[in-house]
Amino acid sequence: MKKTLNINIGNSIIHLEEDAYELLKGYLNEVKQHFSKNADDFEIVTDIENRIAELFAEMLQVQQKQVIGVEDVQAMMLQMGSVSDFENSEADESTVEDYVAAAGYDQVKKLYRDTDQAMIAGVCAGFGHYLDLDIRWVRVLALLSFLLGGSGVVAYLVMWIVIPKAESRAEKMAMYGETPNLKGFANSHLNPLFRQSRGFIAELMVFLGNIFQKSSRFVFKAIAAAIVIFGSMLLLFLIGCLAAFMGFWDASIYSYFPLSIVNEDYMVSLTIAVFLSFAVPLLALILFSIRVVFNTRAVHKMLSFGLLVVWLGALVVGIFFIAKISSEFKESAEFTQVVPVTDKIEYYLTVDRSRFFTKADSLQYSIDPANYKGRKILNEMNGPFAQPRNVKLRIEKSEKMQASLSQNYFAKGKTFEQALKAAQRTHYDFVQKDSLLIFSPTLQILDKGNWRDQEVELVLKVPVGLNVFISKDFDRYIRGDNFWDCESDDNKQYTQWVMTEEGLKCVKEDHDHEPE
Amino acid sequence: MIAENTQTQMRKGILEYCVLLVISRGEIYASDIISELKSARLLVVEGTLYPLLTRLKNNGLLAYNWVESTSGPPRKYYVLTEEGTAILGQLDNTWNELAYAIDTSRKGAKMNDSIKINLDKKSDL
Repeated sequence: MKKTLNINIGNSIIHLEEDAYELLKGYLNEVKQHFSKNADDFEIVTDIENRIAELFAEMLQVQQKQVIGVEDVQAMMLQMGSVSDFENSEADESTVEDYVAAAGYDQVKKLYRDTDQAMIAGVCAGFGHYLDLDIRWVRVLALLSFLLGGSGVVAYLVMWIVIPKAESRAEKMAMYGETPNLKGFANSHLNPLFRQSRGFIAELMVFLGNIFQKSSRFVFKAIAAAIVIFGSMLLLFLIGCLAAFMGFWDASIYSYFPLSIVNEDYMVSLTIAVFLSFAVPLLALILFSIRVVFNTRAVHKMLSFGLLVVWLGALVVGIFFIAKISSEFKESAEFTQVVPVTDKIEYYLTVDRSRFFTKADSLQYSIDPANYKGRKILNEMNGPFAQPRNVKLRIEKSEKMQASLSQNYFAKGKTFEQALKAAQRTHYDFVQKDSLLIFSPTLQILDKGNWRDQEVELVLKVPVGLNVFISKDFDRYIRGDNFWDCESDDNKQYTQWVMTEEGLKCVKEDHDHEPE
Repeated sequence: MIAENTQTQMRKGILEYCVLLVISRGEIYASDIISELKSARLLVVEGTLYPLLTRLKNNGLLAYNWVESTSGPPRKYYVLTEEGTAILGQLDNTWNELAYAIDTSRKGAKMNDSIKINLDKKSDL
């Protein structure tokens, strides 16, 4: 029993035995290779193929059989002639050297790696054929060079890379220096009888190589599968972020810090651009990994090209808007407002984390103005969307005998006017309740305004001799004085200071005063 | 090697002439050309013939007709064109000259006179 193959040659279907097919394929490849220099060559090859089909049809008819065997192919090759016969007949087109070479006196030997007789990669075997040496001696020399300093290892690897593998029949025959014609085919080293047993070490090498190949393939696939899974999750997360940033769930999201930088007009375009510039490479990575895992074919060229275009477009748009927004930080403006502070003999400074709703808040949080009076919300001080700290406090000596608080508002903008407007569109809560001075921890930006590095610097001027009690959680906001030096009892809520001619000084002694 | 080289060159020139001669006798199929040449003891393989036929056709010496076949795809049947016939006439003359040259070289001028007379007669026609 033999396996057969169907081929279509000269527009007719021929059944071939497998080995006959191999022989025919080799022959036709050589014919095609030979006739591949001129414009007429396609016609010649077609003529030859048609004739081969006809010869096979005749053979099948004459011999009353269904399948073409090796001997039929050989008979056909005898009748059609080998490539070297063709070369003889075309002297007017080829030079004398070609002619001599083609006449088959001496086929030029070529150096190939012989993977059929390989121990590792067939380099030694290839050199053995090339130099007409017994492969064993080449291997002994190679082994010596491996052992003497190991330079041979590098040389071997280089040759492994540089020297091509003998793959086709013609290449293998060129490796042995055989002429690639029918005679050569018949008595070639490549006939199965010539196959040598490769011995234990070679078998072991092949075995180890297979294991390595399989395990490395498995590792690659595992990595790729992990990339597919985590990449898909990340992509879903990105899509979720996109939806969140587009305000699907919470329309007030634009007033939180990182997003509050972006002008509302740019928001949608910039969000999509940023989303795409992260999501597209991620998608490409996932697609590639899917390819590795499932061995599917490459992504359609148009798709990958389209992805590239989309990605570059998103980058350009993103960079454009980012540049535009950065230009709004070019100029800065500042104005000062002085708030009177009622005279008391001592002051208690504290931070109030809660604050009253402003009118802006009521709009921002959609609270009915009728209900918001008197209600407080806790200001989210921490968390990922906290604004950068924008309140600073300095305590200075007052030249007059009266305390005062000056509030310096800063902001940035594209022009001075815009910066000034940004500074004005802010709100700072400062309340005096008797001797208690309550400071808000943050500067509010009104009207869904954009973050333009708005800051308020508070300067509290205190007359000499007055005591100042500072709440411990105020420490973060105070600038200028050695606040940290003034340690006190952990149980105490306030540290005590006194204003002197030289400035604020820490009072270490204990006190039992509490604000009224 | 030199001998073989020369032999091949001689055969090559003659092959083209013979192919034209065979075709000049009437429309003919490529493999029939081969068997004609084989019976003329001019040993060629079919593969050699196709490039030659294609070249002659492209030079305008030959033309072919497609003829349906019972045992396979349609076959190309070759015929001589007018130009081909004219060139064949020139080749005939050249061949006669060569044959004279060879015979004369072999036997000497005097022994070969009879052939020369034949040659003159032919060129008169």
